[in-house]
Amino acid sequence: VVPGETALAFYKAKNPTDKPIIGISTYNVVPFEAGQYFNKIQCFCFEEQRLNPQEEVDMPVFFYIDPEFAEDPKMAKVDLITLSYTFFEAKEGQKWPLPGYQ
Amino acid sequence: MSTAMNFGSKSFTPRPPDKGAFPLDHFGECSAFKERFMECLRHSGYESAACRQSAMAYLECRMDRRVAQLMANEPLEKLGFKDLINEKSEEKPEKS
Repeated sequence: VVPGETALAFYKAKNPTDKPIIGISTYNVVPFEAGQYFNKIQCFCFEEQRLNPQEEVDMPVFFYIDPEFAEDPKMAKVDLITLSYTFFEAKEGQKWPLPGYQ
Repeated sequence: MSTAMNFGSKSFTPRPPDKGAFPLDHFGECSAFKERFMECLRHSGYESAACRQSAMAYLECRMDRRVAQLMANEPLEKLGFKDLINEKSEEKPEKS
């Protein structure tokens, strides 16, 4: 991935149970300092997503790394940035403390 | 979210996506485009830049109301595909 260039990535999720699951996901970027340069244009996260029993779906993320990443001397040794997602089952009435969203 | 018991470790604050969330492609309407994109990545040694055409095709599928309409219509230049659009429009006069 080149800083400044938009890129597409896919994750896959499967609901292995026999009941529909409503989940919500959040993400993490490693190394921590690279996170500020990671910009998501669109993704499947932060909103509830429903997976039916045995359903398997592709989950796309459309993003770019801020070109300023290439100017930051602290990032000079960083050649691998890992983006990970964790899916939580959404409980009814539960409010997620998402900063500045909605 | 973990409680920071160890000093000096910063916790990561997630930011929502610029253009909001993607609805899921439950019916796999754009799966063929996704497969083509993944094929391209495998062949190119996972070079994102080499597969931008396929990525653009996938997003076009999502925007196409006749197919999936899983994404608001956005001009492709705004999604970082400006150079690929210019190539496309240069090709057209030669074909006709």
